[in-house]
Amino acid sequence: MKKLNFGIISYAHPHALRFASTIAGCKETKLVAISGDGSNSDVARAEAKKYGARFYRNYEELLRDESVEAVYIAIETYRHKEVAIRAAEEGKHILLEKPIALNLRDADEIIMAAKRAGVKLMLPFNPRFTEPLVKAKDMIDAGEIGPLEYIQTISENVKPPIFLQGLDMSWFLDPRKSGGGGFMDTAPHGVDSLLWLTGDVPKKVYADIGAKIYGFPVDDIGTAVLEFRRGVVAVLTAGWGNPKGYSYGIEIKYYLVGREGFLDVRTAYPDFTVYQDRAERIYWDRPDVREIVRSFTKAVLKDRNVPITGEDAKKNLAIILAAYESSREKKAVKLKL
Amino acid sequence: MRLRVGVIGCGNIFNLAHKRALKGIEGIRVVACMDIDEERAREGAREFRAKAFTSLDEFLDVDMDVVEILTPTYTHAELAIKALKAGKHVIVEKPIALTVEEGERMIRTAEKEGLNLFVGHVRRFDKRWVQIKEIIKKRNILPMHIRKSEVQNLPFPKDYWYWDERKSGGVAVDLGVHVTDFLRWFFDSEPTRVYAVGKSIKEEARANGTFDHFVMMIGFEGEKTGIAEVSWAYPYPSRYGVFYHHLDVIGKNGRIRYTPLDTPVVGVAKANFEMPRFSPLLSTFPDAFERELRHFFNCIKGKEEPLVTAEDALIALKIAEKAKESARKGEVVEI
Repeated sequence: MKKLNFGIISYAHPHALRFASTIAGCKETKLVAISGDGSNSDVARAEAKKYGARFYRNYEELLRDESVEAVYIAIETYRHKEVAIRAAEEGKHILLEKPIALNLRDADEIIMAAKRAGVKLMLPFNPRFTEPLVKAKDMIDAGEIGPLEYIQTISENVKPPIFLQGLDMSWFLDPRKSGGGGFMDTAPHGVDSLLWLTGDVPKKVYADIGAKIYGFPVDDIGTAVLEFRRGVVAVLTAGWGNPKGYSYGIEIKYYLVGREGFLDVRTAYPDFTVYQDRAERIYWDRPDVREIVRSFTKAVLKDRNVPITGEDAKKNLAIILAAYESSREKKAVKLKL
Repeated sequence: MRLRVGVIGCGNIFNLAHKRALKGIEGIRVVACMDIDEERAREGAREFRAKAFTSLDEFLDVDMDVVEILTPTYTHAELAIKALKAGKHVIVEKPIALTVEEGERMIRTAEKEGLNLFVGHVRRFDKRWVQIKEIIKKRNILPMHIRKSEVQNLPFPKDYWYWDERKSGGVAVDLGVHVTDFLRWFFDSEPTRVYAVGKSIKEEARANGTFDHFVMMIGFEGEKTGIAEVSWAYPYPSRYGVFYHHLDVIGKNGRIRYTPLDTPVVGVAKANFEMPRFSPLLSTFPDAFERELRHFFNCIKGKEEPLVTAEDALIALKIAEKAKESARKGEVVEI
């Protein structure tokens, strides 16, 4: 069976650790190259050794590697545009970490570049690939809880990046590089699942996002009220609200209220830690990450549509940016999506 | 000194909570019970070997110190003001009144008469919340984000007064004041603005043109965020009861969660915790009502300082009223 040869560009985003183990472990994919751009290049180098992949100091070298057919880009958000456009120009299919870009114009340029080059572009939003949420969506679509009315979701309360050991995540605290703090980091997952669950888009958003907890130069927690066109109301809290001692590293959950029933959905798959001479966090082959890699790979190998397109991610970013605007202006913001 | 107490309204909340609480409190005696329904007045009076009344004027002629008002919300103001003018201290169920304007008149009357007016914000006497509040203080949690939900599937038929907004204020007021007061109590700060969205989910709500599901985002001084969710439309199964609280406090120094669907009791597992149990139809534990009433009576006797005042109740109502305005306009409303 034909395998898709992957390159990973940068370990700036810690999800690279997860994607590397999944890409290396999946029978449809092979991890052949890693580049060490941006933060954590030492980690990138060590990972290349671990997986027997070629290591390149920068992405330009990696893109010249003709065996690389697809790239997973985990570089700092402010460099998404530059790297994604170059990857497209070199004919590589692209799995691009979220958020797609810092602003909608950059998102458009990335989408256009992929189109021009005829390569696939997909964004990895996890919750809709988790088994519990897939089950919930099936039940909703089958009418088991009646029409969906209200959603309360905690879309990723994670510990702040500074609690992740051994990784330099300081760029998450620099809005020029990350576009925002905890809300920008985590809310796109929740927004994606809301779009998917409702099959609808919000017409209005009100949000309160701020640097409330840790005294970082960026926001650490936010809550948005989203009013969807066909009447669903959603309240989404996202950010880095969890203190260091919190028992879960990550928390994704949904209370889905239908007219005739209620679903209590928790989707975060906990990692595990091995304690020996030192504590090691194991990024196991999580079903959601595996499904992301699989569905992307299938789309590339069989020339099908990817489940989450650049346009979807741009819509997502538009909602996130509107939430920030609402919080800044202290008023509800209307959306035309 | 033994306080002589009269009760107006011998219906739901009297039978479910206050009757038992009043019996357990020392140093008081219930001397009169009034209800417009003669049978209910008589049944209530029988419990305390008190006198039964259907006429307010005759009831107020009785020699007593305190009147407890346990009637539908829209009658609170008129009854409280008459009782105060008749020289009685007043304890009234929450919400203080149907409107802020009425609540202000009640407070002014109490001041003028030099009498006490207390409002039954029973959450402040519920051990769960009291203990969490103490832990927040002791451990210096410094809350910045609090989400509090109070949700149920209201079991009453559509012609019941709860569903009539002109009588109850709707879910935004009836359950809303519990949560607005709770957030203000927990944050120890004043509200600045509110954005709210309401929905009419159940047939009972749609038929009455009222909301049965209501979400408020309330900004508090110091950039604190309160998220209040109240609902009469939750299709929950009655697993632990029929009324659910969810609380999530995120602070500068930690997080505290409470939810009957997930981690019970302050998120701290001890050797012998109990799952929260609720008495049927009640949103709190019976002993909270007893603690509340004992405290109010002690305040009237001058033995204790009030933990929650009529002014607190008025602000809770004001936030809910502004939230309703926000939901109507679809805009943020300053408080």
